[in-house]
Amino acid sequence: MKVEVMVGDDSCSDDLSSEEGDIDTILLGMVADEEQCRSIRKQYRQLIYSVQQQRDDIVNTASESLTEALEEADVLFDGVSRTREAALDAQFLVLASDLGKEKAKQLNSDMNFFNQAAFCDLLFVFVGVNCLEEGKNQLGDYDESVALAFWEKIQKEATSWTLRTETFHFVYGSFKSESSAPKPRPRKRLEKIEENGEMPTKLRKMYPSSNQEATEKEVERILGLLQTYFRKYPNNPVSYFEFVIDPNSFSHTVENMFYVSFIIRDGFARLRLDQDRLPILEPINGNQMDEEDDPSSLGSKQGVISLSLQDWKNIVATFEISEAMITSS
Amino acid sequence: MLQKPRARGRPSTLAESQRDRDRGGDEAPSTSRGLGGSQETRGSRSLGARSSQAASAVEPRSQKQLELKVAELVQFLLIKDQRKIPIKRTDILKHVIGDYKDVFPDLLKLAAERLQYVFGYQLVELESKSNTYILVNSLEPVEGDAEVRGDQGTPTTGLLMVVLGLIFMKGNSIKETEVWDFLRRLGVHPSKKHFIFGDPKKLITEDFVRQRYLEYRRIPHTDPVDYEFQWGPRTNLETSKMKVLQFVAKVHKQDPKDWPAQYCEALADEAARARPQPGVAAPSS
Repeated sequence: MKVEVMVGDDSCSDDLSSEEGDIDTILLGMVADEEQCRSIRKQYRQLIYSVQQQRDDIVNTASESLTEALEEADVLFDGVSRTREAALDAQFLVLASDLGKEKAKQLNSDMNFFNQAAFCDLLFVFVGVNCLEEGKNQLGDYDESVALAFWEKIQKEATSWTLRTETFHFVYGSFKSESSAPKPRPRKRLEKIEENGEMPTKLRKMYPSSNQEATEKEVERILGLLQTYFRKYPNNPVSYFEFVIDPNSFSHTVENMFYVSFIIRDGFARLRLDQDRLPILEPINGNQMDEEDDPSSLGSKQGVISLSLQDWKNIVATFEISEAMITSS
Repeated sequence: MLQKPRARGRPSTLAESQRDRDRGGDEAPSTSRGLGGSQETRGSRSLGARSSQAASAVEPRSQKQLELKVAELVQFLLIKDQRKIPIKRTDILKHVIGDYKDVFPDLLKLAAERLQYVFGYQLVELESKSNTYILVNSLEPVEGDAEVRGDQGTPTTGLLMVVLGLIFMKGNSIKETEVWDFLRRLGVHPSKKHFIFGDPKKLITEDFVRQRYLEYRRIPHTDPVDYEFQWGPRTNLETSKMKVLQFVAKVHKQDPKDWPAQYCEALADEAARARPQPGVAAPSS
């Protein structure tokens, strides 16, 4: 492509210092040039259009049409003197070079002997789909189950060629969807506390209560059992271990101890050591308080009971506990 | 299963300095790693006095708090990895790091180490200075894997690998029309609902592109408009030209060397990979 801009013949240049200063000829020249320029632009546009139309032909075949078009543009460029035409020439150049790049790519791939259709057939063979059956040369012609098996086999093979990570899916979902929930909660609490008078009840209601309720229910139930026992055998305290231990389940035993501790804390029963220094549970009611002559009993003491699996087994054996006193609901 | 367990005993500089100045944490973070745990800490932090928030920005944070942050970051990365969309640094800063922005590089490094040591996953930057990350398996797939994998959702990797193979064997770029010509024979149509893949056109031109497995570009000067596919950056991290060539060769029951041009290209790619790479989880602060 010629790069130098022709300044010579045409009188489109702004050089008005030409000696003759013959305005008429200059003007005439300019008008004639206008025609010429228009014609050049027209030819460029035609060239661009025709090349675009022949695009597939140019790129995919070994035709000379791209070279011919380039030569044509070369000739046209000889007559170009203004930017407007030069812009069209540039546009053509971009088109031609894109097509040239495509052509080069085609050239490359022709050398690589890769046949798409063969690849497709071989995929069927690889999976084990017999595509020699009549009329079935597309996977879509087969049953869905065949297609599923096909894709699963390909998937299995493909994953062995990639370093993809397994994804983690949490049972309760990812935290992202819940992250907005805690934010309004603290604010609600603050608002409720500000209300006067009924504060205590309201607070209790707002506790994330599912666990709380279950515990309370259990405690009440066990208290009921205990009181039933006391009514049946008045003045006869029950051995703590006999009451809480479930010979069949260590975990139930621990739970029972937990619930009984609430009963003791709330003052419905009392834990005491008897003559043999074994813990016993005694009911507490008004009468008992009066009869008690030990003033220090009014105070409460804390104790910690620990029970290991071995301890539990030993107690079951020693006390010969055969069935749990606290039955499950 | 762990092939190269990294030495855990390497203390981070941050941890060392914390031990020196440990103050037994005025904020008591919950120790639970569960879902509730992370929420409660955040809730308690916003509930708790403003002073504690201001304090945490100024005071050195306890070892426990940092540990919790790293754990949250690991969980966040694993969850974000589910969709296979690259994780943006801005998202990490917004959702996890928050006030701890000043120690972000250390947190990220610790999280990356944990992911590598515990899960065998590598935290990699998608492209250098892109500030987006993905997780890549650092363990090579093994024969018995597929049996234990179970149902990991739709088998899109197979479809992806087929398309990647096409792209590479045709010179690293292929027109969309050619892709559909090929896939039609496999029962996958751009405009027809597929019983496994749903909307295949969306899957290939949008989902795979968003996950950065593929690049989808318009070809200029085409009428009607056509697009071309190329490999995306994630593909180069999760697999390689040589591996894809081997896949194609295996299907053909031939040797990769039977395609000399592609084989040479794959070799060159392997050589380039063997050189030290700059892009591995090096968070620029």
